[in-house]
Amino acid sequence: MSARVGGSPNRAGGIGRVTGAQEYVADIRLADELHAKLVTVPCARARITGVDAAEALRVPGVHSVVTAADLPSPMPRFGPQFRDRPVLAVDEAKYHGDPVAVVLADTRDAAEAAAGLVRVGYEELPAVTTIAAALDPGAPLVQDPSIRPDDAFAHTNVVREHRVGWGDVDAVAADLVVDHVYTFPMVTHFAIEPHAYIAAPDGDGIAVWSTIQHPNWLQKVLAGVTGLPLAKVRVYAPDPGGGFGGKQHAKYEPLVALLALRAGRPVRLVLTLEETFQAVRRAASEVRVRTGFRSDGTIAFQDIAADYLIGAYVDIADRVVSKGSYLGAGPYRMPAARIVARPILSHTVPSTAFRGFGNPQVNWAVESNLDEGASLLGLDRLDIRLRNLARKGEAFIPWDTPADGDWQQTVRRAAELIGWDTPAAPGHGRGIAIGIKSGPTTGLSYSTVRLLADGSVVVYAGTSDMGQGARTVLAQIAGDELGAPMDWVTVVMGDTAVVPYDQQTSASRSTVLMGNSVLSACREIQGKVRAMAARVYGVDEATIRVDRGVVQLPDREVAIRDVLGPGLGRLGGELVGNGEMRKDAEPGHPLGGAPAFFEFNCTAVEATVDEDTGDVTLVRHVTVSDVGKAINPLQVRMQDEGAAIQGLGHTLMEHYIFDDAGRIRNLGAIDYRIPTSMDLPLEMVSEIVENADGPGPYGAKGMSEGALLCVSAAVAAAVRDATGVVIRDLPLTPERVWRALRERDREAAVAEAVKHEEPVS
Amino acid sequence: MNDLVSIDLTVNGRPRTIEVPAHHTLLDALRDDLGLTGTKECCLVGECGACTVSLDGRIVDSCLVLAVEADGCAVTTVEGLAREGRLSPLQQAFLDHGAAQCGFCIPGQLMAAQDLLDRTARPTAPEIQEGLAGNLCRCAGYEQITEAVLAAAGEAER
Amino acid sequence: MRTFAYARPSTLAEAVALLATHGPEARVLAGGTDLVIRLRDGSARPSVVVDLKRIAELDPAIREADGRLVIPATAVMTDIAADERVRRRFTALAEAAIVVGSVQIRNRATLAGNVCNASPAADTAPALLVYDAAVVAAGPNGTRRIPIDGFFVRSGVTTLRPGELVTAVELPLPAGPLGATHVRRTRRRGHDLASVTLACSVDRAGTTRIAYGSVGPRPVLVIDDSGLLADPAAPDAARADLLDRMFADASPSPRSMRASPEYRLAMLRVLGARALRTAIERLAAGE
Repeated sequence: MSARVGGSPNRAGGIGRVTGAQEYVADIRLADELHAKLVTVPCARARITGVDAAEALRVPGVHSVVTAADLPSPMPRFGPQFRDRPVLAVDEAKYHGDPVAVVLADTRDAAEAAAGLVRVGYEELPAVTTIAAALDPGAPLVQDPSIRPDDAFAHTNVVREHRVGWGDVDAVAADLVVDHVYTFPMVTHFAIEPHAYIAAPDGDGIAVWSTIQHPNWLQKVLAGVTGLPLAKVRVYAPDPGGGFGGKQHAKYEPLVALLALRAGRPVRLVLTLEETFQAVRRAASEVRVRTGFRSDGTIAFQDIAADYLIGAYVDIADRVVSKGSYLGAGPYRMPAARIVARPILSHTVPSTAFRGFGNPQVNWAVESNLDEGASLLGLDRLDIRLRNLARKGEAFIPWDTPADGDWQQTVRRAAELIGWDTPAAPGHGRGIAIGIKSGPTTGLSYSTVRLLADGSVVVYAGTSDMGQGARTVLAQIAGDELGAPMDWVTVVMGDTAVVPYDQQTSASRSTVLMGNSVLSACREIQGKVRAMAARVYGVDEATIRVDRGVVQLPDREVAIRDVLGPGLGRLGGELVGNGEMRKDAEPGHPLGGAPAFFEFNCTAVEATVDEDTGDVTLVRHVTVSDVGKAINPLQVRMQDEGAAIQGLGHTLMEHYIFDDAGRIRNLGAIDYRIPTSMDLPLEMVSEIVENADGPGPYGAKGMSEGALLCVSAAVAAAVRDATGVVIRDLPLTPERVWRALRERDREAAVAEAVKHEEPVS
Repeated sequence: MNDLVSIDLTVNGRPRTIEVPAHHTLLDALRDDLGLTGTKECCLVGECGACTVSLDGRIVDSCLVLAVEADGCAVTTVEGLAREGRLSPLQQAFLDHGAAQCGFCIPGQLMAAQDLLDRTARPTAPEIQEGLAGNLCRCAGYEQITEAVLAAAGEAER
Repeated sequence: MRTFAYARPSTLAEAVALLATHGPEARVLAGGTDLVIRLRDGSARPSVVVDLKRIAELDPAIREADGRLVIPATAVMTDIAADERVRRRFTALAEAAIVVGSVQIRNRATLAGNVCNASPAADTAPALLVYDAAVVAAGPNGTRRIPIDGFFVRSGVTTLRPGELVTAVELPLPAGPLGATHVRRTRRRGHDLASVTLACSVDRAGTTRIAYGSVGPRPVLVIDDSGLLADPAAPDAARADLLDRMFADASPSPRSMRASPEYRLAMLRVLGARALRTAIERLAAGE
């Protein structure tokens, strides 16, 4: 099968995925493993007064019950932004699910049985689980102020206040100001593969298997916690069974590693789905948007105050908030913008990266507010967007990367595909919205490529393939450049002892950053091939070009493979290239660096609403993304459609439900609903715009998140168009829509009554 | 503490005898006792379908079947779909149509899809979506999975 | 999951004896789609699980006997929904059986299990109430028939006596033509627990039977034999009024995560009116 870039060869690793042979972390078994089971307390916040393990220890097969007291003191802490997360809770459990002890046993049965017998003495403490409660001046502090001693906010539940903007929002004249608050629920990743971890003593070091997206980052965290040098921490990261951001950062790996070192045996911890709900989630938000419009629909200003409810430990959530809100004003030009975004700590599951990385929350608010403005001004909702949309090359954020695509083209195409210019059928409503997200702001991706003697290729890349298809894309790039078909390319990933450093797999970066790195490794090999060809064919090197698998000699073309035989000679051997792609930090930039690219998407939907029940039916869902260049068009489509449907989850049905004690009531798959194959739009249309204007190989941009960003606003707009009801809280459950419909009817009845009374008064 | 029960079952055409405690599920037996880890564990409440296997010709969530209940039964898992190293037409269609992304749900999807095709030679897209509604895919590759099943049905007819 | 002993009786007498021996420590296993979840989450902690599936007398084949359709305790939803007699004569039950979970669930879940769990949200319960089904229970003192309306008490509680197990659910074959349907409300289109589940039948004599669940501690049957509801020409307002009165006993739990009481009550009316319309249409069409 051809590896040509721009084609859609079958997924690298696909055969294992359809035969069951693909090995995920939970499928790996080590000899003499101990099974770990976490022990938690059933409330949001508690002072731990004691752990009585006597009964648990009597269960046959139980090895030990480990509490904070058994781990190093002071308790090692970790976290990608603050070192605020203890390996195991010390003295205080800070959210429903924060482990306070862990049982180790020879069997899973014994570990589970014993975990239920550990008696944790605790005293329930006041907890904050909402933004309002966390901001109350009398609220208990979630984080110990000593974690950030010199921080002005240390004695509040606000982590930071991220301010960005330009112009003077208070001075710019506007004919209309639209001011509303929009909320976004707490939702969870629900990767079908629950997070899993195995750690084993490995000579004088440790080996850790994890469902992690960032193996190199994890290696660093584990080295910090164990005191081992990086070279003695080996992280194996088999392809995760879905990540969506939830598997980016260390969670229980430090615990499992310390337990394995302590026990001198491998330790295995496979979370239940319920436990994953208590490990990862997206930040909820309350976003107030004041949009100033001039009467012609041009945007005068955006004034955005975005509060994100994050969890008990910061994880990467502060970055989610700063980066997610940074483009809050959207891809539009405007004289002034003010964005103030605050991550607010609470006694809830630590929120982390999740596809869209903080953008969907603000996008929902700002795009919905645009519709409100259009409605009040009597303007078309597409026109108001096109009127304000930045043209290619325009610096829509004055100091930052200018618009890097023909965004009008994307938006017009989406409008065309939904039939914006033709009237919708009776009872049908349409909505259109635009999503934009910053790509990576810094990055470092090394790679190694080996061109073996027979022309087959091995690529070493530290990217994780959690389904997005990085392995396939990298194989295509290397295969295309070095002239190997897909089944002659192997991509080795997920082993820090073998694969060179990659900073992370996030922000839709891998095609661009690791792609460029692999491309540069291939270029190095191509240079060697050129020298080899000059020698083999006795021509001047300067007259030879090597590109896309082919050696162009002055008089003919030869396949790279055919040069290798004579070139490598009797001893054989191989050609090795090393790649590096670096995007350095820019200290003066509010995000620490300008985005490498923007993910740009326009989503348009047509919906009907059952007036009696509030059911929303998506008749047609159009998603168009500017991807620069699709290395593998089928995979692009899969990612876009998957992102769109995932966006429908938080738009229509997903949310955590808490009880008064701050416990999650809908833990698990029965009462937390995600879209099934029966919950899809009746018709899904996805298209891409390719102008080869991205910074990645062949003009590619990152993608995978774009099609999720503005789903909520587009769907709510269609509901509004169909029914006249405006809903500013997600998800748009049938009940919520029904309530809005009844409210609309009540208001109409009141208005009618008033109209009839007027002549009398 | 675990009294073991000896059970005989045929797994992917091969007779197997294993000893299991009564409280272990068929999923546990397949993964832990028989080493057939293609069948996946996720929700453990019969909602996600990742553990779908065929039991005496009918698909079940193996997390909700006690291993002892399968005594005397024939079980087919994802590992039993390919014959002599050749992918089944359905597996090939999944591969060709990009139905597998992260792949974790795919063994269950394949079992459900094969069951559907065994019952309905030429399913429509809505029938496929209904037949596979018990198999969650968080990559949400539902469109591609449906296309793959449609293609496999067409292939079988040719 | 906690440990337990597993018993697989081959005769009904053996099963009854096991229940007598172990009393409340025994749990009956039919399809297991509810029980195994409860065994795992610890809400059921039996010392012995008695599997009904290999009992000679409990062959899963659905059969007709003495003017009744007999659905054995081992018959699964898939087969019930596919059975031609069920589809033709007990349409609402077929429609309810086909929405009980996914294909995988329906291949295991039994009607008897659905009834014995006595979940207020059980989808088959309203249909059974509408069709005036009876539960056949075998116990130490022999076999008895319990009218389905006298079977449900509240969630998880039935009038089944200690030591009894359900061997079948029986449906009297309707004397004349019936128009019937089952409808429900869920949080998504894919399989889900119902926030309202309702069945309705209308006969030529003008009797309308409506049963509804998930809006109170147990499913409820209400009957209109005034002929008003079944009359296609009756004014909508009068019909709505009567439906309101018939639903007066609905008392949804405010603790539910699936929907608020207000929404459930409103949907009960919506579903009632819709089901009634379908039932009348079907009766007229001679289904």
